[in-house]
Amino acid sequence: MSSEAAKVVVPESVLLKRKREELWAAEKKTKAVEEKKKSSENIKVIYARAKQYAEEYDAQDKELVQLKREARMKGGFYVSPEAKLLFVVRIRGINAMHPKTKKILQLLRLRQIFNGVFLKVNKATINMLRRVEPYVAYGYPNLKSVRELIYKRGYGKLNKQRIPLTNNKVIEEGLGKHNIICIEDLVHEILTVGPHFKEANNFLWPFKLKAPLGGLKKKRNHYVEGGDAGNRENYINQLVRRMN
Amino acid sequence: MATTARPLVSVKALDGDMATDAAGVPMPHVMKAPIRPDVITFVHRLVSCNSRQPYAVSRKAGHQTSAESWGTGRAVSRIPRVGGGGTHRAGQGAFGNMCRGGRMFAPTRIWRKWHRRVNVRLRRVAVASALAATAVPAIVTARGHRIESVPEFPLVVSDSAEGIEKTAQAIKVLKQLGAYADAEKAKQSVGIRPGKGKMRNRRYINRKGPLIVYGTEGSKIVKAFRNLPGVDVANVERLNLLDLAPGGHLGRFVIWTESAFKKLDEVYGSFEASSSKKKGFVLPRPKMTNADLGRLINSDEVQSVVKPINKEVKRREARKNPLKNAAAVLKLNPYFGTARRMAVLAEAARVKARKEKINSKRTKLSEEASKIKAAGKAWYQTMISDSDYTEFDVFSKWLGVSQ
Repeated sequence: MSSEAAKVVVPESVLLKRKREELWAAEKKTKAVEEKKKSSENIKVIYARAKQYAEEYDAQDKELVQLKREARMKGGFYVSPEAKLLFVVRIRGINAMHPKTKKILQLLRLRQIFNGVFLKVNKATINMLRRVEPYVAYGYPNLKSVRELIYKRGYGKLNKQRIPLTNNKVIEEGLGKHNIICIEDLVHEILTVGPHFKEANNFLWPFKLKAPLGGLKKKRNHYVEGGDAGNRENYINQLVRRMN
Repeated sequence: MATTARPLVSVKALDGDMATDAAGVPMPHVMKAPIRPDVITFVHRLVSCNSRQPYAVSRKAGHQTSAESWGTGRAVSRIPRVGGGGTHRAGQGAFGNMCRGGRMFAPTRIWRKWHRRVNVRLRRVAVASALAATAVPAIVTARGHRIESVPEFPLVVSDSAEGIEKTAQAIKVLKQLGAYADAEKAKQSVGIRPGKGKMRNRRYINRKGPLIVYGTEGSKIVKAFRNLPGVDVANVERLNLLDLAPGGHLGRFVIWTESAFKKLDEVYGSFEASSSKKKGFVLPRPKMTNADLGRLINSDEVQSVVKPINKEVKRREARKNPLKNAAAVLKLNPYFGTARRMAVLAEAARVKARKEKINSKRTKLSEEASKIKAAGKAWYQTMISDSDYTEFDVFSKWLGVSQ
């Protein structure tokens, strides 16, 4: 250990490697610090947004009640605007299908029984649904349905893979460029059919729901005939509760 | 292939040699040739065909009859049958491979291709490769030679060995060199060959011992060593793959004389210069000049462009249901905690407010009236406990008393 001990000859390659490794370690450290800072800032943003949405939803509910009361007072009726969002569930299996209806169900991403997707309401989608009516049940989901579906059975399409939404990072990676960085953003975008509904909806893998507890009434008939197929408007929420 | 720094091989002096201060012989270039077991198995297999003697059945075998088929209608198979009578042979089937005494299927012919051509260069490359293998003690040991007491590899002996005439002296020399263990192994391994070979003039087999390679033509060394079982002798200018790699296995134990060792460079040339004895033959170059993978990987040239090691194993995070698991929700929605707390507080406040509202609307009993009510309740309790009803199990249930 004395300074008189012979100096160990260290090969040049070893010295260079040591220098390189120090550099890498330093880089790694700075990167980690940066990441931490970013994530802590992110949490603040996400918190603020979630709060804002909660207030928005509350306000919407209160507004609806208020408008209804107003109309009733005046003796008339308040007609809520037509729904913008649909939730479509495939009711029937895959055998013995007409190729055109099969294709439409594929386009809607309903390839398996009890698969569900959100859908924007416009002339195109309505006509598509009309053609596949005997195979699907659909209606207008409320906040609780949307939120529960995305929280419990939400998976995102990242790199063509079905990744569970365990972390807001997954959502940020998929939809960050549309300013959707957390799950509440996603719920809000879907529920209010925002400007990036298409991207947000496509990011969501079709929901794989379980067979409804308590069963279906009669698959073969339309809802209005006492069966299950077709548009059941707001009663879709009850079905979603049983299938989620 | 820079062989500027070629190791020196020292020459073993035998008893009776005059002491020399010679530094040794530089290693010939052949010993650095690439070792190619694939080339050697290929060439060995083909070259082994070349000493075959043809075998075949007789051309006439099975046809020395005038048999003819009896045709149909005689309740026998249609195979040609031997004509005539008065002997067992008459009427027996003939000619077919299925018949007794008939000709075999596809009688073996002598014009079968017994020998195989091998490209000259390939043959030479194989021999060079086999020679290189004889210089590696690991390979020679793997082949099975007993070289534990051999002092140096490759083993080079002074030229006085070429003058040995008597086998007894040859054995003595082998013992001096530490090579006798191998020769002894070969001697003790003599045994009778299993199989039909023993009745076909190949009765005895033995292991291979050392191969002695000498340099000058007409040395007496040949006669001295040739009677030793397993020991072979060869002239440097005529080395045989079948001796250098017996059975297609690399690494025969070779004992060189000094002149033979020196001649190797002449006979096989080097990686740049062609050999003088073999026209136009240059030693084959190896695929990689530096086959030391460890050195290559750890070299600065490679390490400077390599990415940093990533030792963190990224595993799937377990999926927890956010509708049930609190930690999972908070990870997704940090506002959830406050929202839930506010809701709980609001609910509690609501319950309290409702209760107060109801209470305020209820008619309050005066103090006297509430006392009377309390007394009445107490009397009822004593009535239950004093009565006989409690002794009957049937009543204790609806009385709500357990006594």
